[in-house]
Amino acid sequence: MALSNASKLGLRLLQEIPNGLLAPLWVGSTNLQFVRHRRTKHFNPKWKLLRKLKYIKIKLPNFNEKAEDISEEEMRSKLKERGLVPPRPWMERQFFISSTGGTFEAYVPPEGDGKVSSVTAQGAKQKLQFLEKKTKTMMAIRKIKSFEEDFDTPVFCKTAEEIYIKAHECLVNRDKEGILKYVTERAYPELIHNIDNKTIHWKFLKSIELPRIVHARNTDVITKENIFAQLTVRFHTQQVLAVYDRFGRLMHGSEIIAKDVLEYVVFEKHLANEYGTWRIHAKIIPDWLPPRDPTAMTYKKLPEPVKSSPEEDKQPETNVPQKITEQSSPATV
Amino acid sequence: MLSLIKGQLLKQAYNVPLLFQIENLHLTSALAAWQSNRQPRKWLKYNKVIYPPQLPDEERRPAFVCHQRTNIKYSPWKMWYVACLIRGMPVDEAIRQLKFVLKKGAKDVRETLEEAKELAVKEHNVEFPSNMWVAESMVGKGEVIKGYRRHARRRFGKVEYFHCHYFVRLEEGTPPKDYYQNAPKEPQEQLANWLASMRKRKINNSL
Repeated sequence: MALSNASKLGLRLLQEIPNGLLAPLWVGSTNLQFVRHRRTKHFNPKWKLLRKLKYIKIKLPNFNEKAEDISEEEMRSKLKERGLVPPRPWMERQFFISSTGGTFEAYVPPEGDGKVSSVTAQGAKQKLQFLEKKTKTMMAIRKIKSFEEDFDTPVFCKTAEEIYIKAHECLVNRDKEGILKYVTERAYPELIHNIDNKTIHWKFLKSIELPRIVHARNTDVITKENIFAQLTVRFHTQQVLAVYDRFGRLMHGSEIIAKDVLEYVVFEKHLANEYGTWRIHAKIIPDWLPPRDPTAMTYKKLPEPVKSSPEEDKQPETNVPQKITEQSSPATV
Repeated sequence: MLSLIKGQLLKQAYNVPLLFQIENLHLTSALAAWQSNRQPRKWLKYNKVIYPPQLPDEERRPAFVCHQRTNIKYSPWKMWYVACLIRGMPVDEAIRQLKFVLKKGAKDVRETLEEAKELAVKEHNVEFPSNMWVAESMVGKGEVIKGYRRHARRRFGKVEYFHCHYFVRLEEGTPPKDYYQNAPKEPQEQLANWLASMRKRKINNSL
């Protein structure tokens, strides 16, 4: 009764739902359900198309479209649509003529330096070898003196230490422009790498041994007069280093532990340039250096790239150990 | 071809040439030229704040990462429900819950959370990305593109195509018991409060 009244009024809000086979038959009037019928639409579907045509279709821009997802042809058509010229590919390579690209005839540090005393047999032997190699170094220093009249090795060692300290201070203060006074363009990216979002506390405490020149070389680039000189200085110092992350939590090192540091730093100067200065160019890392301590951080081991070879397809047994490693890798997280 | 057939059918039935004019209205280049790249600017700046170093006896400051997805083609008012759902949840739980939300925006929110997790490990010195919770989850209104629809008597109605921004901040650690400040109190606490207020009341003209 209620249903028929409602439909007469045009309010078709109640609808009889056909019972399923297994539904209990004795629940007579409860199989009514409220449904919503839109009454703003015409019941005849022939008007549907016209209703649709009322809306002017516009093309919505896709804001979250990534450049790598679009094919080249699509990109071309898009640019054409907007009347834009495709960007020119960057084909240029940067060159710095104020510094060389590497260390020439790099110094090979003697094994166990900083630990072996010259009194022992091994130490004495090293001293002898060192003297043998000295001729080339002397020649190079003479060459430097021909350009720089008041070049004096002990004085240079002092300035080298100053440059070393200044470069580190600039690094700690994130003075990216100021650091180029003390560091060549080659060493710059290596120094700057990974210092974002970090606070670095660095202190130079003292020199354990006086810095000394162990190696000197010079080379000419393109023309004979265009000479670069490189001097390797041995620093044996005591330093303090503490690296904090963005939230001020200690990541590496310590504020109170002083460490002995032995370094071979290469300084470079463009001798041909009247205004050339001695700048840090590289650091020599010997082969005999003990491996670094593993990081204390836990990190996810990335799955190794699986090399597909025809042999593997033939032998399904070989896949079994691979699967186990895949399962075990998330557990290491 | 399809539009041609459609046109013929329509001409037979109604003969309304005006409709085709509307359909063939050329809007693409005009719209494309209009496209701006306005973006929310402030939210990602929080990722660049560097805090002073902590002393060894201080409590470890929890890491956080802010992340956003801009101009999602979804209603900001509908997105609000999705954003509210995951507030104060651990990230993994939030991602799991979002898999069961049958809303279009849930996918974008889930992807944003996953991206934020990755960012936290890569750039913000977070060791375990699962040990994070959704500290803030908000929605902003993005670009609104205006369209038109035809009304009777040569009138036009406005159609607005909304976009929304989604902002999230993940914080390291476990979530607090109550995310909102005015969370309903425990019955015991309610009773204690009531008793305290009763005992504190002043009876006028008494001793």
